[in-house]
Amino acid sequence: MRHEWKFPFHILFHPFDGFWDLKYENKGRMRVAMVILLLLVVATSLMKQFSGFLVNYYDPRYLNTLDDLMFTVLPFFLFCVANWSVTTLMEGEGKFREIVIATAYALLPMILINIPLTFISRFLTNEETAFYWMLNSFGALWFLWLLFVGNMTIHQYSVTKAVFTLVLTVIAMGIIVFLGALALTICMDMYWFVYDIYRELIFR
Amino acid sequence: MRTKKSLVLAAIMSLLVLTAAPAAQAATPYEAYTYNYYADAVALPAPFLPERIVNGASLGVGDFKLPNDFYVTKDGTVYILDSGNNRIIVADEHWNVIRIIDGFDNNGTPDTFGNPNGIFVSETGKIYVADTDKRRVVVLDGDGSLVKIVENPQSEVLPDNFEFVPLKVTADRAERIFVVARGVYEGIMQFNDTGEFLGYVGTIKVQPSLADRIWRWLATDEQKSQMVLFIPTEFSSVDIDDKGFVYATNIDVGSTETIKRINPLGKDVIKRFGHYPNVGDIRYRSYGRDSGPSKLTDIKYIGDGMYIVLDSNRARIFAYNDEGELLYAFGGRGTQLGVFNTPVSVEWQKGKLLVLDRGKNNIVIFRPTKFGKLVHEATALHYNGNTADSVELWKEVLRLNSNYDIAYLGIGKSLLMAKQNKEAMEYFKLGMSRKYYSLAFKRYRREVMQEHFGAFMTTVVVLIAAFAAFRIARRVRPGRSAGHEA
Repeated sequence: MRHEWKFPFHILFHPFDGFWDLKYENKGRMRVAMVILLLLVVATSLMKQFSGFLVNYYDPRYLNTLDDLMFTVLPFFLFCVANWSVTTLMEGEGKFREIVIATAYALLPMILINIPLTFISRFLTNEETAFYWMLNSFGALWFLWLLFVGNMTIHQYSVTKAVFTLVLTVIAMGIIVFLGALALTICMDMYWFVYDIYRELIFR
Repeated sequence: MRTKKSLVLAAIMSLLVLTAAPAAQAATPYEAYTYNYYADAVALPAPFLPERIVNGASLGVGDFKLPNDFYVTKDGTVYILDSGNNRIIVADEHWNVIRIIDGFDNNGTPDTFGNPNGIFVSETGKIYVADTDKRRVVVLDGDGSLVKIVENPQSEVLPDNFEFVPLKVTADRAERIFVVARGVYEGIMQFNDTGEFLGYVGTIKVQPSLADRIWRWLATDEQKSQMVLFIPTEFSSVDIDDKGFVYATNIDVGSTETIKRINPLGKDVIKRFGHYPNVGDIRYRSYGRDSGPSKLTDIKYIGDGMYIVLDSNRARIFAYNDEGELLYAFGGRGTQLGVFNTPVSVEWQKGKLLVLDRGKNNIVIFRPTKFGKLVHEATALHYNGNTADSVELWKEVLRLNSNYDIAYLGIGKSLLMAKQNKEAMEYFKLGMSRKYYSLAFKRYRREVMQEHFGAFMTTVVVLIAAFAAFRIARRVRPGRSAGHEA
């Protein structure tokens, strides 16, 4: 029980071992992954709301936690679905569940860095904000590194293939968004078509 | 907190006042605004109200005919360049005509103007006229007698077939003449007091757009030779301040440097420290009616670092302070009093704003409102270093309009001077100035650190000691238990 909460922290510093254990020792937990995802939403919201004036470029009139939720959770699952679609075709060994858990665990550094950073940013002067942006990008790079290692380990890919599939995943995400928008427009058109016929009938 | 409360209260009060007297609101046919940090146009109380118009008939000199320019001296005397009638009408502060200059004695032969475009009057009372169609700059004495004529400039840098077509003119205390001429892209032409051509000042940089560059890169040499050259735009107007710095505008679409302040060395030294560059409108439609960036066709330095520019595209007036922050903007096209047909020139007559409208052949006189007066007074105090005195005025401005960023900055700067760093931080935050906020915060942080240095260090030492003790205890205990087990 305690171990499953400690495990993501183990992955932070030992990504190769960690993701191996996640896959073959079955150490990943879906609920931990979901909690991490939720914490990321909280961290993003906190950051937009409470980071210091000097680094906070968000327009306070348009801050919306529900938007943060949507724009964190949706891209997350979009990535997972796209990654799953690509890797299934490319002999990846990862299951969808493993992809979700690995991706979520990879997000942990962003939370661990951004929450304290939000607090620290309130005590920085203009010259010191460079540190803020450095740490901020450091968190993002750490996330990308974990994502890459996770992807490689879960699907049992070589380095080049892992990079290649990640690029393909991004392209697939674009395709999914495009198809989704297309489907939505067609559905809307159909809806309005039926609605118009209905109106024609009642106003006849 | 108290100031915040009073601000909210002021906002509520202002709402009450507005609903109580809607007539005052409807008095202007235009809406005044400024741009906030987020590039939104924020409504302002009107800084100026149209008072009346002055035309040829009301002056009793017969209608103006397409007047191109006018000039108001410090003592309020107005010189109207009635271009279509080729005359200069001189009127005093109260619009009583003093004299009409419709010609001058050119070394024995009577001479007249030919569709002059620009006029300037120096502090010593000399009248400079850019006599466009006659290709010369005429300098007259206050009574209308000829001083000198500047024409046909000779220089190595000028091409052989150069034609001198002056449009706008200004002069400094040393009687150096600055001329904006048609077809001259190198800058503003500068002449010395004897009328000798000295050279150009304030050259406009040419920046071809990315599309232009790609297009050029794709073109063959033959096509390139047929392409239009990338030549800079011409200047559109000039004015001069008390220190001899030339203010100039140009119509350079896409540039952020359409307003220049040129120092005696010919370099542009204007400050562009506002949230957005001082180019007139920063938000506009790309296509259709009233679209495109502002075309600044006239500039007037009104003292204390402030200058006013005229946008001929949307017939609007923009006022900036010395930092390049937009104080207010207003104006528009129309037929009512206070809006324009073809505004060509702005002037400043002892606190009143005058706009010459070539289309309507009249001059509109605007008088400042309480808001406009306060903004000008506070800006002037601030410019002259009396920041402490300006605070009360800025607070009054905020009472009238709590969305006025410059007022928050003004109060903030004064608080910063008075070493009230924490309060200053609050105001800089409201004024959205990260630069000054950082400065105030740095001082405040140092203050707090110095005050609480003892407590801070004690905490750190105690924490380190506790951590060390914890580590030692942890190392000792397993050893003991291991011993027991063995």
